[in-house]
Amino acid sequence: MDSTYFQYLDYAIYGSSVLIILIGLYGALVKKSLLKVVIGLSIMEAGVNLLFVALGYLKGGTAPIFSPKGIEMADQGTKMVDPVPQALVLTAIVIGFGVTAVALSLVIRLWRHHHTLSIDQIKNLKW
Amino acid sequence: MIPLFGMVWKESVRIVPGLVLAYLLILAINLLNYVTVNGPIVEVIAGWAPPFGINLVFNAFSGFLTTLMVFMGLLVWLYSYRFKSNVEYEPARKYFLLLMMLVTGSLGIVLTGDIFNMFVFIEIVGISGYALTAFYTGRDSAEASFKYLMMGSIASVLLLLAIMIIYSQLGTLNMADIASKIHLMDPKYKVASFILFVVALGIEAEVFPLNGWAPDAYSEAPGPVGAAFSGIVVKAAVYALIRYTYTIFDLSGAFDLLIMIGLITLVIAEVAAIRQEKLKRMLAYSSIGQMGLVFVAFGINTSAGVFAALFIMLNHAIIKPLLFFSGSYLVYHSKKKFIADVDGMGKLAPFTSILFTLGAFSIVGLPPFAGFWSKLSFLVAAANSNMILIIALILVVSVVEIVYYMRVVNRIFFFKRSSSLLARRPTPNAYIVMTVLGLAILLIGFYPDSVSGYLHNAANSLFDKSQYIHSVLTATIQ
Repeated sequence: MDSTYFQYLDYAIYGSSVLIILIGLYGALVKKSLLKVVIGLSIMEAGVNLLFVALGYLKGGTAPIFSPKGIEMADQGTKMVDPVPQALVLTAIVIGFGVTAVALSLVIRLWRHHHTLSIDQIKNLKW
Repeated sequence: MIPLFGMVWKESVRIVPGLVLAYLLILAINLLNYVTVNGPIVEVIAGWAPPFGINLVFNAFSGFLTTLMVFMGLLVWLYSYRFKSNVEYEPARKYFLLLMMLVTGSLGIVLTGDIFNMFVFIEIVGISGYALTAFYTGRDSAEASFKYLMMGSIASVLLLLAIMIIYSQLGTLNMADIASKIHLMDPKYKVASFILFVVALGIEAEVFPLNGWAPDAYSEAPGPVGAAFSGIVVKAAVYALIRYTYTIFDLSGAFDLLIMIGLITLVIAEVAAIRQEKLKRMLAYSSIGQMGLVFVAFGINTSAGVFAALFIMLNHAIIKPLLFFSGSYLVYHSKKKFIADVDGMGKLAPFTSILFTLGAFSIVGLPPFAGFWSKLSFLVAAANSNMILIIALILVVSVVEIVYYMRVVNRIFFFKRSSSLLARRPTPNAYIVMTVLGLAILLIGFYPDSVSGYLHNAANSLFDKSQYIHSVLTATIQ
């Protein structure tokens, strides 16, 4: 009942983050409303970030902070979580925020221009 | 920094970017000459020696592209120096800020030696690119920009996934370190991350099924921005893709993949260009086609092939902005920007028309101009690798190219003026820029040796993988 049963839960985080990415992709590609497309893109980014942090996580590891407490725990054999993915994800979150802001401002511009958010009605440009 | 200067003196918003770019150009040329003698420069940032910290690599290959992009940035600045000067100060500030961000990001992509840092720079280019595409409020630019943004942010997610696969397998982000450890990686993961890289960077590099954003962005963005996209951004994305294919991954099928996507891009884009009715869209499709040619040349995977690819990139970077600049003056007063609106412009605006014709002749590869040499070196490289069918295909596509460019030139000079459109006289700065580009075309056309030395060095340095790895990994903190 102990570890053998729960070890599958360790993989659940990978599965669920992939699921989040797929949900976001569905939203971005299928939905007709521009706002929902933007939401889909944000969800997709969140999924990737979650997956990245999960890859760097170490079960039972401590926070990668160079503090007296952390050094003490490291001396006793506790491993630290990999700090690099966390730093990268922090950067990626900031970038995603910027992209979302630009996207929403474009949506506002399109709304003012066309008075609709439906993709089907905004197609002055063809391929 | 630019808005800060702008508070002190309004005119400085326009001047400072030019001074910075001019300084960078001098610096880049000096460094390029230094590098050809003394070997690559590796700059370690923030005191973390590779493979841990971020480092910048300036070797003959990246240095050549850096010089080219700074040069193009300077010309775009000069062309748009008076841009929006008739309206208030605010749009000019935003415009130059975004333009400098675009150049910064592109240079960062080329110089960086760290894959995550490259991701950050690609996003910088992306965000400034979206904003610049949507710069005009009146037209359909927001729609074009949204299309670009959607594809760009899906690309960034895929790029992040690819980086994640590499990091989870090898535990490093430094390009040279990855390149030296790549044989340890499971082939399954290697193929997966390579495909993700190709798709993600292919969106920025206008590879065929992923280039839906390009014609809209080119035709809706302000004229100089279109030139900046084709001269700077696309070059940076192609560089990134080539760096991954040649240096980092050691997959055997990767070069065939490059040839295939290049050929498909080339054929589809040229066929699409011939049925366009708007001038800028036609130029955009032609630009995509040229990128396909570059990919085919890189896919040949010989030193001559890389030489030809770099030569085509150089010529494309010179010729396409000239076509965009002069073309946007030819259709300046036209509402719909149709090709038919250039009828009889040869009499009204002779200088602009002649420069457009020069660019058109050069890009299809007529002998006295620059485009001839790059196409010739490409055909020689392909012939040396026994790719006869590819040569035949390229020549057929060139005929298509001639057809749609000559159609425009024919309309400019030999058609009667039907509409009552007036010609727009270019600003003095635009005259200077277009003349410089035209002279560059003639210089390379009559005297190709002036650049081929740099190109050979760049091609050789791309193949010298072990030297790249060695020079990065042994770099110390200066």
